[in-house]
Amino acid sequence: MLDTNSYREGSVKVDGVVVRYRVAGPDNDRLPLVLVHGTAGSIDGHYGYIFPMMAYRQKVIALDWSEPNGDTLELADLVAQVHAVIEAEVPDGPVSLMGYSLGAVVAAQVSAEMGTKIANLILAAGWLKTDIHQKMRNHVWRTLRDQNSPSITEYMTFCAFSPAFTNTKTLDDMIGAAGLLKMDSFVDKQMDLNARIDIAAACETITAKTLVIGNTFDMMVPKHHSKQLFGTIEDARYAEIPSGHAVVHERAAELFHYVDRFTAQPDIYEAGTIIPAQKP
Amino acid sequence: MNTQTPILIIGAGFAGLGMAIQLKRSGREDFVLIERAKDVGGTWRDNHYPGIACDVPSHLYSYSYLPNPDWTRVFSPGGEIQAYIRKCAEDEGILPNIHFETDMLKSSWDEAGKEWVVETSKGTYRAKIVISGTGHLADGHMPNIDGLDSFTGDVFHSADWDHSVDLKGKRIGVVGSGASAIQIVPEMQKLASEMIVFQRSAPYMVPRWDRAYTQGERRLSRRDPSVIDDMRSEIFWAGEFNFAQRRNIPKFLDEAKAMAVNHRDSNIKDPELRSKLTPDYEIGCKRLLISNGYYPAIAAENTTLEASALAKVDGDKAIGASGESYDLDVLVFATGFEAVRPPFAKRIFGTEGISLDAHWNKGMQAYDSIAVSGYPNLFIINGPNTGLGHNSVVYIIEAQVDYILGALDQIERANVEVIEVKAEAEEAYMSKLDVMSQGTVWLAGGCKSWYVDERSGRLTLIWPDFAHSFRDENGTFHPEGYNMSTEAVAAE
Repeated sequence: MLDTNSYREGSVKVDGVVVRYRVAGPDNDRLPLVLVHGTAGSIDGHYGYIFPMMAYRQKVIALDWSEPNGDTLELADLVAQVHAVIEAEVPDGPVSLMGYSLGAVVAAQVSAEMGTKIANLILAAGWLKTDIHQKMRNHVWRTLRDQNSPSITEYMTFCAFSPAFTNTKTLDDMIGAAGLLKMDSFVDKQMDLNARIDIAAACETITAKTLVIGNTFDMMVPKHHSKQLFGTIEDARYAEIPSGHAVVHERAAELFHYVDRFTAQPDIYEAGTIIPAQKP
Repeated sequence: MNTQTPILIIGAGFAGLGMAIQLKRSGREDFVLIERAKDVGGTWRDNHYPGIACDVPSHLYSYSYLPNPDWTRVFSPGGEIQAYIRKCAEDEGILPNIHFETDMLKSSWDEAGKEWVVETSKGTYRAKIVISGTGHLADGHMPNIDGLDSFTGDVFHSADWDHSVDLKGKRIGVVGSGASAIQIVPEMQKLASEMIVFQRSAPYMVPRWDRAYTQGERRLSRRDPSVIDDMRSEIFWAGEFNFAQRRNIPKFLDEAKAMAVNHRDSNIKDPELRSKLTPDYEIGCKRLLISNGYYPAIAAENTTLEASALAKVDGDKAIGASGESYDLDVLVFATGFEAVRPPFAKRIFGTEGISLDAHWNKGMQAYDSIAVSGYPNLFIINGPNTGLGHNSVVYIIEAQVDYILGALDQIERANVEVIEVKAEAEEAYMSKLDVMSQGTVWLAGGCKSWYVDERSGRLTLIWPDFAHSFRDENGTFHPEGYNMSTEAVAAE
């Protein structure tokens, strides 16, 4: 008998588009956890591990972004979608909010705007302000995209994983994984937004108890960005995972560990703490 | 002989030795470790069958605080693990604390003396605290086979291999298809003129990503031990990822199954043999096995897979439950261990004077997987709900050792004479585990396994969660779960 670990589906309409989300897990003494995926992601793509596993611990809500109308995507569009899902599912009381990659940027902005509604905030592989290193990668991506190069997904895959993880796979595995990535106009808009992020001022105002997670071997959003978030957000503590950017795949169980511990006991480490590395 | 010791540890395998090392490192000398055999090593001392190796990579299957740069392979052979354990005992100065060839026969709680009276093959020990580290895989399980006494050939258990028997060119029967059998079978196939494998149920198997470490890699590990930390971390978290399979999440179960099916089908071409090697339960319900050599050995010309249990023996004939009969020279029982009802429990008698085995008549249970109500001043390492289907038990042992160190600190600090877990705390812990176990592949996977106690249907062997959460939850002493009475301090 398979454990189907069923979830409930819901949707909200935001600026004329339907935003779908899933809810699973029991109500208990933990605050509901809202999960926000990153660029070119989805619930299954980025939270395929965290969503079902955390649902054994507590109530979890995850949304799939919807492509808004218009030629350009703004951070506010994605913020509005997260905002709407939270209001729809948790009208009363605070929540925990987690974002990954661009989703972490969105989550940080949501936290700044919603104040005490977001009691706990987890930012995995997020950033404060797009820097030249990121712009350079984004530029190469743009060039490959403009050339309609089939190498674009291989380039993305190459950037996403750490050398150590890549070396546990075969070349065919990695090329096969790249083949699963699909490019579309929404991804184009997300990549454009990625090059223009600056949430430095907003992050100064975040009051949520925050866990910032950086990844040691992240080539897309190198860990210095997470350190910047750790410095900027007042009530922040920092953990580091020896992973590439694709921590949701590479070190999903270790990421789970930090999310699980923090959502269960957000106070266990005080603000300013660099959480000691896990040494199994 | 009568020996008095504040702390008595039973067993010198990974658990007991790990405890002793940490006691010594924390500055304590007030302990004795009794060991029934002549050497340390536990299951790695007893199991020396051809092909023995661990199915957890060596850089993780070792003490975190005693890294070994010299492992020769990702999955090192059993002899190397045994040598490692012995070296740990020597380097940490534990050997003088070990009383070898001292078999614990009966341990009784002495209410008047507030201590354990431990009768052994070498005399009586009296100890305030007893720590058992007797392990899950300590005593081989021999099935009751009709007519086995009449067998005219050689017969032995995998955990008690008889190396004096010349196997070359013999007709060899291997009973079992579990973790030991799949290591033994490829070795027997090379030696036997004919080999019969009695398989009660087909196992799932995935490839073993094994290879030798180069001299350069080993030298690097010596020059820069952080490399070992990185490997440990990588292996550990990769193992943790697989808990999602045991948790029974379809996506991860399907991925594991696809890997197993692909492994079987790329090795086994004969459709009839494939079907015999197809399990009838969900992957992970029984131990998921790893081997590159098993399927080729099963497919070899001199091998017959008897897809039924060994039912009876008559002279030189071994007869399967299917009725099929085979003439054999040697019978090897790779039939596992007495894990569900560990024999040590029959020898421990608590405050009510009943054995732990009788107390556990509905299955093993312990608060924080370490302490049992009615059995004061006793800590059990690697006891109920400490096994893992997906990661290294040495990690669990280290967490339990830390817990005990915390308890011993508290006992010393507060001058505690008797520490006994509250019955309600134990029940609450078990209720929590029951909830956690529901829907896992061990309970819902449709198999019969040694992880589940048939008497209660409870998962008694397995910690039904991530290994890391075992440390989070049971890696530090919880005084609130215990009643502690202090010693009356004599007036001066």
